[in-house]
Amino acid sequence: MIKKLIFIFSVALFFAACGGGGDENTITGPDTQNDVRSVQINPEKINGLIESFPSPIEMAATIEDMKVPYSKKHLVPTEIAADFDSNFDKALGLGMLSADLGYLNVYNRKNAIVEYLTSIKRLADALDVDQFFEFQTLKRLATNSNNLDSLMFLSVTSYHDMDEHLRKTRRSDLSALMITGVWTEGQYLACKVNQFKSDKSTEEIIAGQKDIVKELLGVLEFFDDKPKFKKMNDQFRGLLKLYDTVEIKLIEGEDKISYDQDSIPVIEPGEHTEIIYTQEDLNKIQNKIIKIRNNLISL
Amino acid sequence: MKKIAILIAITSFFIFVPGEKAQAQCKQQRVYHCARKGGNAIYLRDFNTKLKAVRSERSINGTKWPVVLNRGTRYRFILCTPSGSGNDVKLTLFDSRHPETRPWNSTEKSGGDKFDFICKRSGVYYVSIRFKAGKGKRKTCAVGILSFVGKNQ
Repeated sequence: MIKKLIFIFSVALFFAACGGGGDENTITGPDTQNDVRSVQINPEKINGLIESFPSPIEMAATIEDMKVPYSKKHLVPTEIAADFDSNFDKALGLGMLSADLGYLNVYNRKNAIVEYLTSIKRLADALDVDQFFEFQTLKRLATNSNNLDSLMFLSVTSYHDMDEHLRKTRRSDLSALMITGVWTEGQYLACKVNQFKSDKSTEEIIAGQKDIVKELLGVLEFFDDKPKFKKMNDQFRGLLKLYDTVEIKLIEGEDKISYDQDSIPVIEPGEHTEIIYTQEDLNKIQNKIIKIRNNLISL
Repeated sequence: MKKIAILIAITSFFIFVPGEKAQAQCKQQRVYHCARKGGNAIYLRDFNTKLKAVRSERSINGTKWPVVLNRGTRYRFILCTPSGSGNDVKLTLFDSRHPETRPWNSTEKSGGDKFDFICKRSGVYYVSIRFKAGKGKRKTCAVGILSFVGKNQ
């Protein structure tokens, strides 16, 4: 009887150990120049940080909402993306191109969407996450002008599914690179918009990223022991240093609740931040973001 | 013999009882329909979870997700559940300064299935989806949608 119980328990233990990726306590960071060392980190903490990062479409939606004219010249050229060779470059590129795809989606540029979808598909194949990227459906939606909502929805869910799969398969380093790509490309576009037509709102998007850069570095520094990460992280540490002179003041106030035309309650917190910076601070930050992004795509 | 059985039972409990995040979620179709309820707002991401039936009044069931929100942006939060469990579930938005017990807002507090939030501080916020107090006799799935309404100039 005891033997039977021990046998059943052992079999059950075996299946429990093999099942799912949610309870891992070690994340192995494969690739990045065949670096096979495992990184001992808290997976819940890093996955939570990665998961919190904005959607690849958010910055594009912001830019479009500000009535900034469409310009393809600021996007990552797809011919450059074809040269990304290591998984490090591919994951970064996947994030950047996803942000660019978001931009093309909100501006409804069908021809360019198909071009970027093709590049993303190539990177997704190489990173073995192509099963989450529904290329044929996306391509079909892109060529049918009536399906913009579905296209945007599927583009964003495909991105999140690829990201989630990387984390579940212990490739959080690649997932971290994807969010870095999305953030960097989004900020690069904001900087380019601000150079084209500077206004307070765009300036504050850039200057107000101080805490977000801290969060991003919080993720990237988990992988500081990998040479390529270390080199990239040094650039982000340089960027964070430039934010030292930017002051973000928290000001108390009364919350307001109103209702829009569809009777949806709108909460406007009284507590808000005031961002204090000089034009010199902003120029330095902008130039650094542009430099980091250009360095990353000329990898 | 009895000791071994107890030991196995206790160990199994810790091994097999799942954590906060349940495995099964709402189907993609439901997520898509929920996203479309945002009107002209642009879908950014979803929070999809399965809620297990509440066994005792004290159990806190559900999931929470961190989410970075950007200052100056108006976001829309929408909660969708299968018909029949809509009134049992709530979506809550909170952060470290306004904890879940004293949140920025929730669908329960605002009395509907959606609300807008004008972000005045860039940073990490949290979204949780849980059963309301005293509810949750039956398991269900629930999905929350975060979408972009516009810049609040």
